[in-house]
This record gives sequence, structure tokens and C-alpha cells, in this order.
Amino acid sequence: MMVRKFILTGIISVTMMAFSCDRPALTGNGVVGSFGGVGLASGSFNYPRAISVEKSGAILVVDKAGRIQRFSPDGEFLSSWRMPETSKGKPVGLTVHEDGRIFVADTHYHRILIFNPEGELVGQFGTNGNGDGEFQLPTDVAIDDDGFIYVSEYNGNDRITKWSPSFEFVKSFGESEVLGKRLNRPAALAIDGEGILWVADACNHRIVRFTLDGEVIDTIGHRGRGEDEFRYPYDIDIRDDGTVLICEYGGDRLHWLSATGESKKNWGGSGRELGELSGPWGAAFGVDGRVYVVDSMNSRVQIIRP
Amino acid sequence: MMVFALTLPFEFNEPVWLWVCLLVPLLLVTSRRSLAGLDPVRRYAALLLRSALVIVLACCLAGLQRVQRNDDLTVMFLMDRSHSVQAMQDEQEHFMREASKDLPADDRVGVIDFARHAFLEQQPLKGGYVIPAGRFPIMQGTDRTDVASAMRLAMAMFPHDTAKRMVLLSDGNDNMGNLLEEARRAAADGIPVDIVPLRYRHKNEVYFERVIAPTHAQKGEQIPVRMVVHTDRATSGTLLLYVNGQLLTLPEESTRLSLHAGDNTFVVTIPVLTTGAQTFEAVFRPDDVEQDTIALNNSASAFTFVSGPSRVLLITSNADSDRVLANALESEGVGVELRDVSDLGQFDLLQMVSYTSIILSNVSASNFTDDQQRDLVTYVKDMGSGLIMLGGDESFGAGGWIGSPVAEIMPVSFEIKHKRVIPRGALVIISHSCEIPRGNFWGKEMAKRSVDTISSQDYVGVLAYTYSPGGENWEVPLDLATNKAAVKAKIDRMQIGDMPDFGATMTMALRELTVGRGKDAAQKHVIILSDGDASAPSNSLVQDFVRNKITVSTIAIGWGGHVMQATLRDIAKKTGGKFYAARNPKQLPQIFSKESKVIKRPLIVDAPFQPAVLDAHSELLAGVDGSSLPALGGMVLTSPKDSPNVIIPLIRPTDDGEDPVLAHWQYELGKTVAFTSGQWEVWGGEWTSWSKYAKFWAQVVRWTMRQDLPANFDTYTRIDGDTARIVIDALDKDASYLNNLQLSTRVINPNGVTLPVKFVQTGPGKYEASVPVDQAGQYLANVQIRHNEKYLGTLRTGVTVPFSPEYRDLVPNEAMLRQVSEITNGRWLNEIPEEAGVFKHDLPPSESKRPAWDWALAWLLLPIFLLDVSVRRLASWLAFSIAVEVVVLIVLLFGMDFRYGGWSYFFGAFVVAELVGWSVRFRHIGPFYNYLTHGVTALATTGQRSEASLGQLKSSRNRGKDDRQGEAVQQAPSFETDEPLQLSDGDAQQKFDAKGGGRGKLKGGSLVDSLGGAKKDQDKDSPRGKKGAEDPDNEDATSRLLRAKRRARRDMDEDNK
Repeated sequence: MMVRKFILTGIISVTMMAFSCDRPALTGNGVVGSFGGVGLASGSFNYPRAISVEKSGAILVVDKAGRIQRFSPDGEFLSSWRMPETSKGKPVGLTVHEDGRIFVADTHYHRILIFNPEGELVGQFGTNGNGDGEFQLPTDVAIDDDGFIYVSEYNGNDRITKWSPSFEFVKSFGESEVLGKRLNRPAALAIDGEGILWVADACNHRIVRFTLDGEVIDTIGHRGRGEDEFRYPYDIDIRDDGTVLICEYGGDRLHWLSATGESKKNWGGSGRELGELSGPWGAAFGVDGRVYVVDSMNSRVQIIRP
Repeated sequence: MMVFALTLPFEFNEPVWLWVCLLVPLLLVTSRRSLAGLDPVRRYAALLLRSALVIVLACCLAGLQRVQRNDDLTVMFLMDRSHSVQAMQDEQEHFMREASKDLPADDRVGVIDFARHAFLEQQPLKGGYVIPAGRFPIMQGTDRTDVASAMRLAMAMFPHDTAKRMVLLSDGNDNMGNLLEEARRAAADGIPVDIVPLRYRHKNEVYFERVIAPTHAQKGEQIPVRMVVHTDRATSGTLLLYVNGQLLTLPEESTRLSLHAGDNTFVVTIPVLTTGAQTFEAVFRPDDVEQDTIALNNSASAFTFVSGPSRVLLITSNADSDRVLANALESEGVGVELRDVSDLGQFDLLQMVSYTSIILSNVSASNFTDDQQRDLVTYVKDMGSGLIMLGGDESFGAGGWIGSPVAEIMPVSFEIKHKRVIPRGALVIISHSCEIPRGNFWGKEMAKRSVDTISSQDYVGVLAYTYSPGGENWEVPLDLATNKAAVKAKIDRMQIGDMPDFGATMTMALRELTVGRGKDAAQKHVIILSDGDASAPSNSLVQDFVRNKITVSTIAIGWGGHVMQATLRDIAKKTGGKFYAARNPKQLPQIFSKESKVIKRPLIVDAPFQPAVLDAHSELLAGVDGSSLPALGGMVLTSPKDSPNVIIPLIRPTDDGEDPVLAHWQYELGKTVAFTSGQWEVWGGEWTSWSKYAKFWAQVVRWTMRQDLPANFDTYTRIDGDTARIVIDALDKDASYLNNLQLSTRVINPNGVTLPVKFVQTGPGKYEASVPVDQAGQYLANVQIRHNEKYLGTLRTGVTVPFSPEYRDLVPNEAMLRQVSEITNGRWLNEIPEEAGVFKHDLPPSESKRPAWDWALAWLLLPIFLLDVSVRRLASWLAFSIAVEVVVLIVLLFGMDFRYGGWSYFFGAFVVAELVGWSVRFRHIGPFYNYLTHGVTALATTGQRSEASLGQLKSSRNRGKDDRQGEAVQQAPSFETDEPLQLSDGDAQQKFDAKGGGRGKLKGGSLVDSLGGAKKDQDKDSPRGKKGAEDPDNEDATSRLLRAKRRARRDMDEDNK
């Protein structure tokens, strides 16, 4: 009997130890690495805010120092360049075009800048204003298969504008009775394989889906921390198989949705440890099924394989 | 990580305790006897563990500490950005950039810029100097050089675990702080300061040495103003002379000057026509600007106190209304100057002391800068003047004066302290992160400031977006501001996050102000501090604010670029609040004073009342019949200060207390009066037509006026370097020396700080004092003179420090730099950066020591103790092995933090624990395996083995009997026991222990015994040992066991069939 007691005690102790780790078990939460850290040196971040993945799998991250840094899929620093102007504010959106060009929502300068992969400025469009072809704090860019460009903006001008591949204004949309509340800080855009534009309507804590012509299809979710709820969704990315990734700035978590918008799972929690997030601004699918999340307040990017 | 820590050397705090280790041999000898009953493996293990226990205990007592050595280097560059080296910024930048180009990968570079203050430009980072080229910092206060503050900041910023070095790039002209003392401190910390001298030479320079004017003059007198100008080479130019800011027209021969090399003196005689302080400022403009390098040192100033009839300054927000008062005072012979508050201009202490008393008639605090408020206090307490505050809707608590320095010197508190029901105000501050440098700092400072200026009877709450978890929170829940210190402490701790939208926090504020704690407030106000890039609130929400009469003022903080004003402007406009675009931090205090007034309306009583006399003996009421006082139309609520010095002649009696109407007291050298009514056109119609109005007010004002008994002594002032000397020659009417005078002196520096200064008699009738003058500006001295306790009069004098020594130093001070280098064992670096060897690793490695005794106590001492007990007390090898396994696992996971090292560390910990565990139990696993896999079969097998061992057992017992010394039996099987098994005898001592032998209550036989266990103590003298040997029941038990085993075997055979 005593032996059994000892065996039992041993098993219980070991099990308790495994569960008593006061942070999410590293093996269980899928974190395969992280990179960055606070600093101005290459490879470190000062409050990173947007991420995008290039075809090669390399990652681009823009931070509040106004730098765009390129990393290998494993987080090794490769190269970097700076935004031309930063005194008024820094960008919050970053999108890689099929042809390799990088579109940056230069938020506080109310314009979109286009860089080539070497970091040279090759074009820009948009000026400050509320009219057609003008921006108020643009937040993100999405590009459809035909090369049309979609830009989200806010600051009382909360809408999506559509631009031709040669940067001519086509239309703007976002107001619809179907929506109930008008868009409030659309923070991110993504277009899925079916040609549906997903918009992170951040301050309404929901996702809105539009056709590429600007018709509202439906809205997904509402404010909260539950399964089908969001707290300030700030970024969206969509994988080829239709899986949608939502990054919740206020919820400190990632949220996976099916192609039809059903909640599949979520990941994260508030904190400073690996597997935890603090005010994340962006997330993106990478190569080999990896997911990158911009853990802004912790000035790092976490690599997870959920 | 702890894993690596174990490989590092250790040190002991008090090594004397290591002598405790000498107990080990003693312990070995004594334990040999007491552990004799164990088998050899256990015995040696126990001895080993006990020895380890004593050694670890000794280490803990000796204060074990871990020493980590690191030869990585951190270099802090201290960059002189002061005026004297402005032209050498490129050279400094080049040196630093080139010197830190190819530094070793693990070395760090930090940069500190300094002039009057030190700023951290780059915290110590690996990867060199990361700030882009050509970006020079915008420095404030380049008029001074304080190398000491830069060194202090550098020492605070060094990481603890690297070698440290400072590289000072400077001209050595340190004119603030104590550089050598700081150098000695650095030397004590073992931090060398390497020097890169910045060398320059100003060939041509013209500067104003000084302006000299007599300290005192009589009105109408002609006074000589002497000017001394220094030039390196002969030059010509124009002299301009300003009196109180006005350019004086002088004949051309006095203004066109030809200067020879060296000092040039000029004298201009000027008539003084007004009383009070007269400031003379002289400026020299050379014809050829090439002859001058530093333009900032081309002017100097001086001042003269002109005696005459005393005057009172009446500052008002409504000159028409207060003209009545001014005329009344004039009619009583009190000289008054009526000035609108908007025309204050440069209103500094020197201007103030021209008046013997100042009246503030219904003017709010926001009209005065922080410096002016501070000067008003100095004017009263150090200069011995008077201050009278009259009431109105912009005065006292209603004028934002709560929490101001002026509130301190008034005889009434602007807060309503007694428990009476007055309408409350409610203020909610919404704080959004501001992206400009130190934006959040200013946000917090301003939130704290607004808490200071509201009444403790008002509600205050602070909302912000914070992280972890992200969301909008009441950082300070809306509540009465009774404990302002606690509220401010909470604001200080706030981590203001990047708020996505204004809507969420505004909704929370609305809810709390309409249905929450603030619902009863009479005035509700919200202030939003932001850089404006959060999303705008919805129209319906803004309309809810309008409907509930909640005003929202918005302050855009964003000097230097980043600010979005549209949303903020819109919110303020729609809700009836005000929008402010703060362009620099200096604007913020006044904005907040204005804003906090918004919730002050409840302090105003707009109803007529009859003032009543409370203290008829007050000097202010002399000759005034209390019953003849006319009624007043309204007042501002205040409460009397709890001090016996406060006299309250007039009050407004009410059912729940008495509100002060007139109160006065003496505050240090000066006097202050509070009259909480006023606004003559609105509240004081009956008073202005009262026959004693003029007499009453003349009496009040005269009581406060500074007694300017002129002490007719000659005074001289002179500046020598950083010290000013004041000399007083004291003669009486008969021209005989006045000795043993008591001079009490207050000297106010340009920052309003009172300096401790003492006059010393240095000769017959001669008194001297030294004043440290390390700042440019005016130093004012107020000297009260007494002789044998008799007051003789007050003497005011002062000096002007024309410009900072920063503008006078024309050559570098290399001697000072060399001294710093020598004190700190620093090097004199080569000015060619590549050859300077800034990152040379010739410093001793850094050592960081951390106490490790607590770790040893928790993760070595306790586990060893447990193992020591286990090895002796756990009869079963299996149980013991599991105990070992668990201990190893716990130590690895928790003691060495393997749990944070990823799955591989987890796995490694399990493997190590398993290896240790299995190596312990290896020999004894067979029976256990059988037990688990074969159940009853195992029992039978065990029975056989027990039977077989019984013979051995008996023989060993016999051997034991022969050996009375109780020595251990060598090579005995571990499951051997000399005590027969008891199957169900209910013995209370049913446990596996060495002394009790292998007793157990397992039905059908003790498994533990069969698996092996600790041997019984062989000491036959022990009572239990004897009992065991002599108990006849033991035979029966053995027989029963054997029978049971045979039965089991039979049953199995039958089963097999």
C-alpha cells in the first residue's frame, strides 16, 4: 500500500509541477521564437506597429522609429530603411504587392508611399483632406488580383477608398444602412481568394465584409472578450486556404476565423512572457504555417506555430 | 540563468562561518555508530548527504554569493552642447561616430548631451551610435555648462554588468555644479573619464564688463551710470541705453564710441523722475560684426532704487469698477497706480518692490505665470510688503488660486473645509498618449496640476487607455478629491496607452457623471489631453454631453509636429468647452488654471447679506462702527486658516457656519488681507456710497504697506567671479560709526530662491556679506537693520549678473579637464578617433555579486535534508528512488529554472531525474515489476523468496546476537529482516522504518518487506529489538505467511489447470 502511495504521490507531484508553471507552458502554446527587443539598433524595435510578409517569406516590420526592417523567416535581421519624414508621426500600415513593391500607409502624412524591395521610394499618392482622392490618417492598404488598391482611413473620415493600379481615385465607400453604425477607425484591410474585402472596424469591435465594389456583405462579431467577440481588431491577414487571422489590440490575442467568418480558435493573453501579448498592432501568416504577431508594447515579434 | 551560474565562482560574505565545515569529520565519526544498522549503500549515502548538509549549511551561514565577471565594455559619450562649443558640434559628432564604428559586438555605446541640463540621447545599446548622422539635438539652456550633471546621469545609466568608461568631449568651461566632486565620485566607482578636449580661440571679442549705477537715489536726482566695455582689439560702435525698457535719447557723442583694446569706461548722467526701481540696460553694437564672436555678451544692466512717496499697485480685471476704490484711496492720501491685469507686462519682483502693497481685485490665477506667483510670495514674505485679495467671480477658489503659492500666504483657505452642503463640481480628465518627446510626462503633470487647483469638495477622476489587459480604465475612479496626494500618486503611476477612440472613454465619463458618483455635481466638466489621433466620438455621444450640460475642453499637446486638431476642436466646440493648442509646455499651467475654474462656480454666493463684526478689536476696523456696515451683494466662499495669527474682523453669519468676509494676518515679514466680496458694481453698490468707504480701505491698505524707513547708509555692491559682495557703511546723523548692528538679510536669486546670507562687521561701521551669484539675472537683498533691538529701517539693494559666464569664457579650460582625467585615472585621448582607442579593453572586468545563500537554502539544503531522511527512513528502495527522483526534478525545474528553458529543458529535467531514480532502484525493480504485472503471482513468488530468505534471516540474527557491538551485516540482501512479519496485529507503529523493521499491514504479506527495506537496528539491547526477538507470536506469523503462500501457489496451479 505504501508503495502505491509513493507512486501516486510521485505522479501527482510531477503532474502538479507540470501544471504549476506560472506561465503558459512554452511547449503547449506554439511559440517557436521571438525577436526584437527595445532599442534603436538594427534588429530591435521601438514600438513596432505593422507587419507584412514578402513572397520569399521574409518579414517587413515598421516601428515608431520610422524604420522598415526586413527579417528572415526566423527573425534574423537582413536590411532596413527609413521613412522619408517622421516628425509628424509614423506609419501604421504595411502591405506587400504581388510584384514585390511595398505599400506603406504613411498615416500622419496622409499619403501612401510605395517602395521597391530595396527600400527606394518609387511612388506615392494621396494628400490631406476629406474629399475624393484625399486622406485623413490612412491606416492600411490592400491590393486585389486586378491591381486595384484599397485604402482605409479614419479621423472623422472613416471610409475605404478604391484606386486604380495607376493610383487614380475610383470611388470611396463605407457608409451603409446595413452597417448600423458607420465605420469607426477601419484599421486594416485584407482580400480573400473569393474577392471579398475584409475590414477590421476597430472601434466598433467588429469585422465588416465588403464586395470589391463597396457593397456590404455582412458584419462579424461585436465588442467583448469571448469566442465570437473582438476588442479593437487592428489587423487582418488571410491565408490561401481562406483562414482569416485577426489581431486584437485591446484583447491582446489572435483570433482565427474560417473563410465564412466562424470563430475557430484564439491565442494569447495579456502579459510580457512569451505566449502573451501587450497591445499587439499586427499579425501575418508566414511560410511553413508560421504566424507572426507584432507584440507592440513588448517591442518584439513572436513567431508561433499554432 | 541559474544553470550557468553554477559554473561561475562564488564568494562568501563572512567566510569565518566556513569553519562550521570542521563539524563534518565529527559528524562522520558519530554517524558511523548511529547509522550502523543500515546497509552499506544507504549508510555511505547517508554519510555523504549529512556531510553535504553541513557544508551547505556552512555556506549559507557564510553568506554565499554568486560572482559574475564580464569584460564587455560600456562607453558613455558626454557631449558638450553648451554655447561656448556650438561651433564644434560637427567635430564632436565626427569623433563619436568614427570612434564607435568598429566596436566589439558586445560593447555598448550611450550618449548624453549636456549644457545647463543633461539629457540622455542614446541609452547604452549594442551596435554603436544608432542615431542618424546630422541630427543634432535641440538643446535648451545652452547658457551654462554643467558637466557634473552629465556625469551623474551617465553613472546612473551604466548597466551593472559591464566595465564602464566615460568619454568627455568638452572645452572644460564648467560653470555650474561641482565637477571635481562628481569626478571623485566616479573615481570611487572605478569609472575612468577619458578626455577629448575641444580647442578653439576667439580672436576678436567685445563684451560688456558691467554697468554700475548707485543702489539708491532720490527722485529728481541726477545719477551717474558707468559702463565698462572690454574689447580684444580696437573697434568702434554704438551704445544704446534703456531705462525701464525705454530707449534713452542721448547726444551722439555719448552713443558713438571708439574703443581701444582692453577695458573702456564711459559715464552717462541721467535724471531719475519716477520712484521705485529703475533698471538701466546698456547694449554695445560694434560697427564691424567680424570684431565680435559672441553677441550675447554685448549687454549688461543695473538698477537703482529711487526713494519717494510710497505707492500701492491695484491690479484689476475691471478698471472701471475699481476706479472708485483707487479714487477713494487717493482721497485718503494713499498713492495708487491702477493697472489692468492684461497690461501687466514684465511684472517681476523688481517691479513689485517699487510698490509697498499690491491689491489683486478679482483677478484669476491664470493671469500670472508660475514665476510671477512665486515672486508675489517672495514680495510678501521676504520683502515685507503687503498683498490684498479682493473677491469676485475670478477670485479666490473661483479664480483657480487653489493650490497656488499665493494661497499659502493668504489668511483664508480657498478650500471649503467645514462640513456644509455646497454644490460640488466634477472634473474628469481623459488622458491619451502624446507622441511628442515627454508628451506623456506633460500629460501627467497637467493632470496633477488640475487636481491641485480643484477644491477637495469636488469630484475628480482620470480615464486612460492602459495595457495588460488593453482597455479603457478609470485610473483614478471619480471621487471626492479629499486625498489629493493619493490621487496624484495614482496619476504618476499611470501607463498611458495609445487610445484607439475617444468614444469609449467619453462614454464612461458620461455614465459616471450622469448616473454614477458625479450625478449630483452642479458643474460637470471633462478635459481631454491628447495628440488628437484617436478616432472621433459619434455625434449621438457628443449630443448626450450637450443634453446633460457636460462641457468638454480639449487640449492638443503636440509642439514639434505630431498633432491632429480637427477632432479635438470639434468636440470642444459642440459641447461648449474650449479648445487649446498647446505649442509649448509653458502654456499648459495657465491652460489648466483656466480650465479648473470651470467647476469653481459653486464657490460663489450671489445673494445679498449683512456682514457682521466678529473681532471689533482688529486694527482694520478702528473707527468703524460695526452696526453701520452696509450690506454686500455677494461673496466667494473660503474658510479661515487654522492659525492663531489669523484675525477675522468681518463674517457672513449663516445657519451652518460663518464665512470670512475680511481676514488678515502677518506672514513672515509681510502682511496679507483677504476681502472675499468686491466687484463693486455688482456686489458693492452700497459700500461705495458708504461714508466710511475711503477711510476703511485706506486703513486696510496702510496696515499692509511695507514700512520703508530709509536707512541712510551707503551701500556698495561688486561682482567678483561667482560671488557678489555687498558692503554697508553705517553712520548715524553725527557721522559716527554705528557698531554692533543686527542685520537680518534675505537675498532672492533670479529663480526666486531665498539664499542664506549673513552680514559680518569687518571694521568700524562697516558690514560685508558675500552672495553666490551663479545665475544671470537680478539678485535682490532686503536688509532689516536693528540696533539694540530697536528697528532702524529696511535697506534694499541688489546686483545684476549681466550674462552667464558661458559667454565670458573665451578660451578652453584644459587645466580643469586634466584634473578630471587625473582624479578618475582617465586618459587624454588622441583627437583622431581611429587612434583614440575608446573601446580598448584595458579595464578590469565588471563584477556583479548576487546573494546565493537563499537559493542554496531552498534548493540544496532542504532537498539534501529530505534525501538524508529518506535514505534512512524509507524502507523501500522503490519509495526512496521515487523520492530522489522527485527531489531531482523539483530542483532542476524550480531551483535551476529549467521550466523556462523550453520543452528541451523540461525533457532534460525528466531524463536526468529518471536516470537518477532508475539507477537507485535498478537492483530492486524486479519484484515491483512482478507485483504490478502478475498481481497475486507476484505475492506467491515473493513468498518463496521470503521463505528462502528466512534461513538467511535467522542466521543473520544469530550472527547479530554474537556481535554485541551491533555492527552492520555485510552483503546482506536488502529485503532481509530479522523481525517476523506481522499480518494484522494492529500495531500502531505500522510504518516502514529502520527501527520497526519491515512491519506492514498488507494482507497476505508485506510487499515492502519483500521488495527490500532498511534493516532493523541491530542493537539487541534496544527494547524493541529484544521484543522482536523474543515474541513467540512471530513464529506463528511466519507459519501463517508460509501457509498463505502455499495456498496461493496451490490456487494458481489450479487456475493454470
